[in-house]
Amino acid sequence: MQGVRSVQAAIFTMEGLVDKEGLAQAAVNPLMAYFFEEPTNRQVFDAILNTVLASSDVTAFEGTEKLLTFLTSGFAVIAVDGVSRMIAVGAQGYAFRGVTEPESEVVQRGAREGFTEPLRVNMSLIRRRLKSPDLVFEQVTVGEKSRTQLMLCYLRSAASPKLVRQLRQRLAACDLETVLAAGYLSEYLEDPHTSRLFSGVGISERPDTVCGKLTEGRVAIIVDGTPAVMLVPHLFVEEFQGVDDYSNRTYYAAFIRTLKYLSFLVSVFLPAIYTALAQFHPEYFPTWILIKTAKSLSETPLPVTLEVLVITFVYEIMKEAGLRIPKSLGHAVSIVGALVIGESAVTAGIISSSTLMVVATAAICSYVTSPLYPPITMLRFLLILVGGVFGLWGLVLATALVLISMCSKTSLGVPYLSSLSPFSLRTMRDVFIRASWKKLGKHTIRVQRFAETEEIG
Amino acid sequence: MKQEVPFSSKRFLLTLTLCACAVILLQNHDLSRALSFPLALGAVAAGLIVCFLLFLPAVWLKKRWDSDVLTLVQSRGRAAQGMVAVIYSAYFLYVAAYFLLPYTDMFCKKYYTETNPCPVAFLLLACCVYAASKGANVITRFGIFLFVLAMVTNFMMFGGSLSSLDMHNGSLGWQGNPADFGNHVIYFVTPCFIAALFACLSGDATRFRVHQIVTALGLTGVKYALVLFFLTFAAGEYAARQAYETFVLSRVAHFGDYAGVESLYMALATMSVFMIISLLLCGVTKAWHCGGNLWVLALLTGLVFALQLWAVSNDAIRELFTRPLLLIALTLITAAVIPLLVGWGERRRHA
Repeated sequence: MQGVRSVQAAIFTMEGLVDKEGLAQAAVNPLMAYFFEEPTNRQVFDAILNTVLASSDVTAFEGTEKLLTFLTSGFAVIAVDGVSRMIAVGAQGYAFRGVTEPESEVVQRGAREGFTEPLRVNMSLIRRRLKSPDLVFEQVTVGEKSRTQLMLCYLRSAASPKLVRQLRQRLAACDLETVLAAGYLSEYLEDPHTSRLFSGVGISERPDTVCGKLTEGRVAIIVDGTPAVMLVPHLFVEEFQGVDDYSNRTYYAAFIRTLKYLSFLVSVFLPAIYTALAQFHPEYFPTWILIKTAKSLSETPLPVTLEVLVITFVYEIMKEAGLRIPKSLGHAVSIVGALVIGESAVTAGIISSSTLMVVATAAICSYVTSPLYPPITMLRFLLILVGGVFGLWGLVLATALVLISMCSKTSLGVPYLSSLSPFSLRTMRDVFIRASWKKLGKHTIRVQRFAETEEIG
Repeated sequence: MKQEVPFSSKRFLLTLTLCACAVILLQNHDLSRALSFPLALGAVAAGLIVCFLLFLPAVWLKKRWDSDVLTLVQSRGRAAQGMVAVIYSAYFLYVAAYFLLPYTDMFCKKYYTETNPCPVAFLLLACCVYAASKGANVITRFGIFLFVLAMVTNFMMFGGSLSSLDMHNGSLGWQGNPADFGNHVIYFVTPCFIAALFACLSGDATRFRVHQIVTALGLTGVKYALVLFFLTFAAGEYAARQAYETFVLSRVAHFGDYAGVESLYMALATMSVFMIISLLLCGVTKAWHCGGNLWVLALLTGLVFALQLWAVSNDAIRELFTRPLLLIALTLITAAVIPLLVGWGERRRHA
């Protein structure tokens, strides 16, 4: 507590959240240097607020709740004796990770910048790319205990006001005590009564991707303390679009897209089709494959369904181990997995080489569309089981059910399979192929055009 | 009650086209030898013209009031509403069993020879409950994927049979007796059940144009004509020796060492029947205003399953579900007579 002439005033900060040097420059030094002539406490307060402080991030406020919010957000708070209002001065200075390339979305061409943990840094990364006055950042606080700050980010001219309103309502309905990561909120943003197998909320760690989505009318939700930014509405076809597609030549981008769709299908269906054919319809294999497969399968003790399930399960364990163990041990796991378990098991006649090849191909393909990895894994297990019990017919029925479930899914009122079903020829220019920029640049297709209801249209 | 989301009329009619094309997938009717090819084409055209005529009353309701028969009848009192709901429910359940029976029969004869048809029917119906609970809009979205599968299968079927084409296999004259022609026409009127579906569900369809119906029936006609053409001139006697002669793909599949390709046909037939029954269940739930209720849907499919069991165990009942004439007569009532009566009643009310 220090007196300014005869007026008592105080500066409050949270240890470790404030940059002391910045605070000295913005508040302490100017306060010490200023000669206060104002006769009343109120006038001293106004002078500090309007004249003295050398910071652009200055806000006057009132109330204990806001005081705590500002303090825990790294602000310094100046209180003047006899004045109920207080002044918050931006002087955040906690340690944080720098802006680095995100590991989950590596690109060949394009920016090497990714989001980081502090909210303000992430906002600046978006603002630097979209200098439009239409860009809106709207602050929301969630979590009774964590008081986590979120920013709804959208382009006023592109995003539907109804969509933004709906989003605000859903976030307001979030009754979590703590929100420590973006993933905590994604369930609250999903439409009620729709399938949860696929996610209706997109995640990106790249500011350029987020800016691209904002121009299409989507809303980004930046969560303080998380480098992953959520994007809604999110569509299935977006899982197959990458930043590199827009930098590469159009024919190559189309080739890569096709490859991704095929990889998705292979990763989901290949083990199941193999199981169904080997178990129920071996006559459907062309003769040259049939002979080799039959020979390979006859030398193993397990029925083919169980064999495929076991190998897939072991693969998932190895994948999980590879993710969790220290990087220095990663090579050891690879060697154990590939050589000891894989080759030895085939040599010992425990598993067949054809089954191993099928599961390995499916596993590699599943990494081509890595955001879809969770649903792909679940579907793979389910379909192997169905294919093994009911054969191809069961597989067809299960596929029909999965398709129905996907067709019924919506993301904030927009059908999840939009562009494909409901089909839109106009938007096909950026689904299986990527049209040239001359065509893409003519009209930006807003996501709300897909909405079939009046909910967000 | 779950409110149905309006859907595109184009997508709805595409779905109905796929339902109509499914009729020929489940074919166990002597198509290729009874009539010469041009005469068989004439039968297709005649059949589809009758189908188009059956669409007209529902088109009138749609154009005049932008509604369907089940929605319009709501204003006619609870008794009328209940009576119409009973008629349409009975009809839709009959049609569901009508398609389920040949499907399970084909399934057990062609693919899983040692399987009992009842568990097959049961599982298929259980899946239909889930689909119907999602509503007609979702089923029409599913129809787009089925359309892609149909295109791939047809391409394989007809593309693979091109090499076997021999114009000496069939006749290009006008041979055939009138009784056979009549039978063929009756057979090709079978897809008219889609007119009844249209009459019930078109109220939720947006941007409807009459030419969409013409296109839908035209596409069905093209599919039928192609099947007839390849049956006559490519499969020939091979088709005649099979239980299900429209398996034109099987000749290519077996002789070309690609038997697995035939599973596409099974997939298309299964998904088509799945879609037809799901749409029919949607029609019933709409008639009773209980859209998406799983218990009601389970009860309805239980009834369809009971009909299936009854037909399997009783040949007289089976006859009822395999004769197209009864289906056409019932369709005439549901697709034409009732919509006309409701339409006239509505016009008098507004006069």
